[in-house]
Amino acid sequence: MSQKETHSISVALAAATCTLLGSGISATVDAQEEPAWDFNTSLLYYGEDGDRVKDFSVSAIARRMFIDDRYLTLGLTIDGLTGATPSGAIRQDVAQTFTRPSGNAAYSVAAGVLPLDDTFKDTRLALTAGWQQPVGDTSQVSVGASASKEYDYLHLGVNAKFARDFNQRNTTVSAGIALSMDSLDPVGGAPAPFSPMLDVGDTSNRLGDQDKDVLDIVLGVSQVISRDLVVQANYSYSKSDGYLTDPYKVLSLVDGTSGDTLLRSIAPGVDGPSHQFLFESRPGERTKHSIFGQAKYYMNGKVLDASYRYMSDDWEIDSHTVDLRYRIPFGANRYLEPHLRFYTQTDAEFYRLSIPDSLPLPGHASADYRLGNFDAITAGLKYGWRTRNDNEMSVRIEGYRQTGSVPADQLIGNQVSRDNFPDLNAIIVQFGYRF
Amino acid sequence: MKRTVGVGAMTILLCTGCSSMGVEPWERDVLAKQEMQLTTDEIEAATDDHIYFSKEASSGGRGFGGGGCGCN
Repeated sequence: MSQKETHSISVALAAATCTLLGSGISATVDAQEEPAWDFNTSLLYYGEDGDRVKDFSVSAIARRMFIDDRYLTLGLTIDGLTGATPSGAIRQDVAQTFTRPSGNAAYSVAAGVLPLDDTFKDTRLALTAGWQQPVGDTSQVSVGASASKEYDYLHLGVNAKFARDFNQRNTTVSAGIALSMDSLDPVGGAPAPFSPMLDVGDTSNRLGDQDKDVLDIVLGVSQVISRDLVVQANYSYSKSDGYLTDPYKVLSLVDGTSGDTLLRSIAPGVDGPSHQFLFESRPGERTKHSIFGQAKYYMNGKVLDASYRYMSDDWEIDSHTVDLRYRIPFGANRYLEPHLRFYTQTDAEFYRLSIPDSLPLPGHASADYRLGNFDAITAGLKYGWRTRNDNEMSVRIEGYRQTGSVPADQLIGNQVSRDNFPDLNAIIVQFGYRF
Repeated sequence: MKRTVGVGAMTILLCTGCSSMGVEPWERDVLAKQEMQLTTDEIEAATDDHIYFSKEASSGGRGFGGGGCGCN
């Protein structure tokens, strides 16, 4: 057999294999003949234990293929959020009263109970649009826009990405940039940093609307190692500027010896905070660097998806994330996919459990537990199957648990014996349907 | 100068290394499967990014990690 004949047989076999497996080549041919929409939809429930945050979410991504491998992608997400979230104030052995973020009413928290702000209720609408097309034989360009609206928040963003293939498409190098221009209009107005929580009806510490801009740059390379193994590595740079403070978070102003929150005097007939609380203050800039690596390995039908991310920022937060998924097919059209995720982060240099009155105010401070020192684990299972109409359905159930601690050198007096970090347990249930 | 030469040499070495890896076009049957794509399910990936962005101090890595939400 001549070399030419061998080669043509290889090509014919490859074409036949791709056709049988419904892979990229045949999909492209189909797409060129019949431009069509593909839909990927999902229903999500995210629920934290106790009276904390619950989110019901509906999402859809619609993709239309055009001739010459061009794609239009449109996305829609609607979130309905309710529940309570830790305000940043610490537990006390007596009841505490707080002014609501709106400044229009007050609420009380019983003795020994972690103060939660129960006014958290929002609907979020997010839209995305993207266009992707080849440039020449080996490159691809995509551009996109995003917008989302909550009651107190507006996000507008644009992004672009360029990717180029090398080495018979075994190596892909990409570069992407995204810009976000966000506006905050907090309920009752954004409080001035470190201003005290005031009586109901007193809004003299409130500022006007605030802005936040974010620049993201992602540089990546993906490499096919063998017929069963593909890897990728990304470097990400993210710079945020503007109002990065959480307008609803406070810190307790405490006695420098006992660690108890200082009492506050209220005029007769006035509703207001029972203790002294200060609104938090974060720096107006943040720069993050991330390294991300991922490998996908095919083992006789099973697929291992392993990834790792290291993040470091100039707020002195370092984090490590390991994500493992293992897809196990069974029967002709079904699979199970266990998922494990491990996360750990150090606290921001301005994270404080409380502010002692015996020391001068720090430059910045936040008691937001999300800037604290904690570990998190996610464990879940996904079950997916192909329907009779050749569509795909899936359901996944996952548990998410955060456990943290406040650095010992921050604990003052009675705080030592209290449970200071608001541990979190959440459940994630998601149904997916692709058609 | 030394540094530039070093970086250049490293790049050439990496590219040469990459060019010897990989598969021929007709060996992409497994890689073409949906479950072998780097992002298997866009919605699930976006959902996870959104949840963890809201609850942790890190975001992005796989893709852009910027704003888009008042939750953090």
